[in-house]
Amino acid sequence: MIERVRGLSRAAPILLIVALAIAWQAPDVGWLRAATTDSDGAERMTSVLDALVDEPLVLIGFDADVGTYAEIRPTVRALLADLLARDGRLAFVSLTAEGRALASAEIARLGRGEANPTRLLDLGFIPGAEAGLVDLTGDIRVDEGDDGVLAREVEDAGIAAIDAILVIGGNDLGPRSWVEQVIPRITDVPLLTVTPTVLLPEVQPYLVGGQLAAGLITPRDGAAYRQGLELGNLERLVEPMEPRQLPILVGMLIAVAVLGQALASRTLARVRSAGSRSVG
Amino acid sequence: MRRPTITALVVIIGLLLLADMLVVNAALGQVAAVGVDAAILVAAGAALAGVGALGARRLNDLWRRRGDPVGAVMVVVGMAAMVIAGLRPGSTGTTDPAVQWLLAALLIPIGATLFGLLFVTTLGAARRSLATGSREGTVLVAGALVTSVLLVPLAGPVGDWLADAATWSLAFPIGSVLRGLLIGIALLTAVYAARVVLGIRGADD
Repeated sequence: MIERVRGLSRAAPILLIVALAIAWQAPDVGWLRAATTDSDGAERMTSVLDALVDEPLVLIGFDADVGTYAEIRPTVRALLADLLARDGRLAFVSLTAEGRALASAEIARLGRGEANPTRLLDLGFIPGAEAGLVDLTGDIRVDEGDDGVLAREVEDAGIAAIDAILVIGGNDLGPRSWVEQVIPRITDVPLLTVTPTVLLPEVQPYLVGGQLAAGLITPRDGAAYRQGLELGNLERLVEPMEPRQLPILVGMLIAVAVLGQALASRTLARVRSAGSRSVG
Repeated sequence: MRRPTITALVVIIGLLLLADMLVVNAALGQVAAVGVDAAILVAAGAALAGVGALGARRLNDLWRRRGDPVGAVMVVVGMAAMVIAGLRPGSTGTTDPAVQWLLAALLIPIGATLFGLLFVTTLGAARRSLATGSREGTVLVAGALVTSVLLVPLAGPVGDWLADAATWSLAFPIGSVLRGLLIGIALLTAVYAARVVLGIRGADD
């Protein structure tokens, strides 16, 4: 019996992968859906984007981390495409090494998707985290070799040229640092964010308090936002396929089963122990 | 042992940045900017030193044949590949196709895979914490179980109810606990910073 349990424990990771692979290949089912019918986060994001000026210049603080980026990647790509569809101009900056790596990959992807290059500006990496953010509010340095109109505008006007800030947050640096270091030094620039759910407790108070104009923090918010988009020919910039819900459900059910079994065993053992004590 | 020079530096730079934030003055702003630039340079230097130390440590491990040789070779080869791709003559740095390939095909998927392994290891850790019989472990696992059920992506009215309940649980009970932790950490940091600024050290320093 013990040998069988041990064998099952050893085979569990492989069985998990097999179950997920089968679920991945299975057709979609109608009773699963990531988006909710009403998402405050998605509605707020859309209304803030609607209120931006024509051809807004959006500073994108890209500091996601590779661990959690998979969760927010479809939403980030959809939001970038949405901003470009609204004739937005995007200036990317990173303050973490992982963020820089991911930003570099996303800029290259936009290039491969034939996004208008005159609407993209790579401001590169600024070391120093919070100190780098403070520096950003005083002076934005542009690559000397970049003599495009957008680059010159940003170099001449600095942070004053920015119409909105979008923070793609991660575990190392998120919206909190921008709220603390940038917002007190600038005026009337809406701060938007896309972060993984793990940052929700940190971000929620800023959303309620108004320091953050809008945020897509949970996968449900992201799915609801993506569902409402009409990007026209810029659809090519978003992910070709929505995240499959069946493998997610299978993974969650396995987690629930494992946790539930462990909890039930523990509770049963306690009840038995209490019963034997009372009999004794 | 007290270090009055470091304390004085912290006090001066701290007050300078605070004054720059509160008072609009060009000269003050320029002096504060020097402090900020110095912090950026120190951070960049520290990052480079950290990477250099990691590489040197792994090379030393290989030279002395100690530790994990496979891990050391992987680290050294990975660092060498990225440095050669980004700094070789004719390379365009981070935008170079070779660097982009290393990022998109190797670094990002490997990072995401390592994070994905947390699914298995977290479940294992949850079971082990229950096995210890601690009350905290039981509460932790029960909370995780309830949250997992609430996040099941169902459609229809049941799915909407679950979504509302999940949003409420994330915003209030879970959110308030984590915010409490953050506030506690912030208070401790503030107290420690104030002690450094005021030159107050513990008896064991």
